[in-house]
Amino acid sequence: MGTMKKINIIKKVLWRSFLASVLITAVSDVSQAESDSPEKVTIYVVNYPLKYFAERIAGGHAKVVFPVPPDCDPAYWVPDARTIGAYQRADLILLNGANYAKWVRKVSLPRSKMVDTSAKFKDRYITAEEVVTHSHGAEGAHAHESLAFTTWLDFDLAARQARAITKALSRKKPKLHDTFQENYAALEKDLMALDGEIKVIVSKNKTPPLLASHPVYDYLSRRYGLNMKSVHWEPDEIPSAGQWIELQSILKQHPARWMMWEGEPSRESIEKLKSIGVNSLVFNPCGSVPGNGDFLTVMHQNVDNLKPAF
Amino acid sequence: MFDSLYIAWKYIGYNKARTATLIACITLIGFLPISLELLLDESEHQLMSRAVTTPLVVGVKGSALDLVMNTLYFGNEVPELMTMAVSDRIMDTDLALPIPLYARFRARGHPIVGTTLDYFEFRGLKMAEGQQIAVLGDCVVGAGAAEQLGLRPGDDLVSSPENMFDLAGVYPLKMKVTGVLHKSHTSDDLAVFVDLKTAWVIQGLGHGHQGVTVLKDPTLVLKRTEGNVVATAKLYHYMEITDENINSFHFHGHIAGYPITAVIAVPYDAKSGTILQGRYLSKGESYQIVKPEDVIDGLLQNIFRIKNVLDAVISVVALATVMAIILVFALSLRLRQREMETVFKLGCSRMTMVRLVASEILIIVSASGIFCGAMVVLVDQFSNDLVRTLFIR
Repeated sequence: MGTMKKINIIKKVLWRSFLASVLITAVSDVSQAESDSPEKVTIYVVNYPLKYFAERIAGGHAKVVFPVPPDCDPAYWVPDARTIGAYQRADLILLNGANYAKWVRKVSLPRSKMVDTSAKFKDRYITAEEVVTHSHGAEGAHAHESLAFTTWLDFDLAARQARAITKALSRKKPKLHDTFQENYAALEKDLMALDGEIKVIVSKNKTPPLLASHPVYDYLSRRYGLNMKSVHWEPDEIPSAGQWIELQSILKQHPARWMMWEGEPSRESIEKLKSIGVNSLVFNPCGSVPGNGDFLTVMHQNVDNLKPAF
Repeated sequence: MFDSLYIAWKYIGYNKARTATLIACITLIGFLPISLELLLDESEHQLMSRAVTTPLVVGVKGSALDLVMNTLYFGNEVPELMTMAVSDRIMDTDLALPIPLYARFRARGHPIVGTTLDYFEFRGLKMAEGQQIAVLGDCVVGAGAAEQLGLRPGDDLVSSPENMFDLAGVYPLKMKVTGVLHKSHTSDDLAVFVDLKTAWVIQGLGHGHQGVTVLKDPTLVLKRTEGNVVATAKLYHYMEITDENINSFHFHGHIAGYPITAVIAVPYDAKSGTILQGRYLSKGESYQIVKPEDVIDGLLQNIFRIKNVLDAVISVVALATVMAIILVFALSLRLRQREMETVFKLGCSRMTMVRLVASEILIIVSASGIFCGAMVVLVDQFSNDLVRTLFIR
């Protein structure tokens, strides 16, 4: 009896010790996992393409914030003091460069956190044609430089911007370098696929004259050799009589059959353009968060929209 | 012994002028070398502590001391200017974080330091009240500057013109104080910090004015062609950056060509620092990279050489003073001949007279010790500010 009792007690002690050790191991595993899980990088961006690229490259390792309200054009939006403070506190600030988001030059942001994603191809920036120079004081004539800034519409440049983001992320989180590289490779593949698609479309008919409702397609035109002239029309506004006259005079020199719009134009504009033999197609630069889909789906739609023009 | 002290006390109380002179001489002889030592120790500490926390400084080739003194302590000697391209070059190397500085202008006697937000993080400067600089025209002031100028967040501070007689020169800029920094006991306490771009606006490189292409007033336009508008001197330039006019502020040309005085380079690791230094060794290089620690160490060596000379001078003066004091006592003993005779007639021994004189010396030396100690404590208390006011500023 005495021996059996002792055996039972030993069994109980052993069993409890086993349970305790399992529990301790489990708890230590969880805490180890928690301490290993890296904190997310907070990234603030100035336009939607950069947000999309950063999210694709960082995967779940970053919180990407694009604070521009959906109804604002991010190129001309100006943040309030509170939002500037949020940008200052971010781990990374992704800029488009090419004078995009001019507010950046008027606020104080930490240079160590700023990444000009187009800095490596500054020599490929396109300067806008319509610039009035002026002079005052001793500094002589100067112009308020106007650069075309929708760099991401050249998908090769877009890939280079994505590469700059990958580099910045890898510097912030060196341990995740391989993950970022892998994600970048997938994104680059998607972008270059789009690039290839447009090249195939354009190669059918290289130089049909085209019109743009706004001068935002400079990089697209240059990359794919488009023969394009721009007016300053807004998709949601009916063009004025003066704007129609301007268009007529452009058409005399540049007999375009298609006009590219940033957004869906009004019915009236479409009809009136049709009456003078100009069709409309939408090529959304996607600077802001799209209502449906993402950057890639919007660009695929753009490519599809482009097909009838060639 | 107490009787001797009492009589000595009464004697020196009677000869006030002689006693005061003796105490002053002994006090000064004790105070001078000790306070000098204290101030030099403090200046060494201040100079070195800031120098060792600043890894590398890049500037135009020339006086390394001027470069370091301006970069670390915002001294009056402005080194030769260089361009932002130097900072960009460091950034492109991926070897160090460049923190550009433009410490050239002043506001009511305090240096205006144009830099980036990285500077605050690098120096560990925290806001005591208010907010960090956010937009063009904002500034944050060091604790000392805020105290001396009576500034608080929300106040305005106007930059001082560089030259009073340069009427056509830089317009003063009215800056908005957005915050006051915590006391750091460094040169940062006396500085006014602005964004680099604001410093360039102070210089006139960035400016805001009426839109020249839409001017209606014919007196503002000198010449107008299709591609160029020439404005007259009447064109109004804004001297304060407000929410209403901030959009009219602009910079011409490339920022890379804009001036700075120095770049603090913070290498990502020791190896990167060494590689970066190697990049500035070639003969054709127009810029120098210096370790502030080495430059300040060289300066301190010179200071200590001067200190040795001072020590020798003080020693000679001390010796002369001690001899003069001995002479004073010897002469006073001769003058006190009748008094001594009276003491002996009263039946006192020679030792009584010795005790009396010893008591006098004891009281005078003790009083000098107390005064000297008090003055040394005072100097020690304010050595930080004294050093910055006397030596570093």
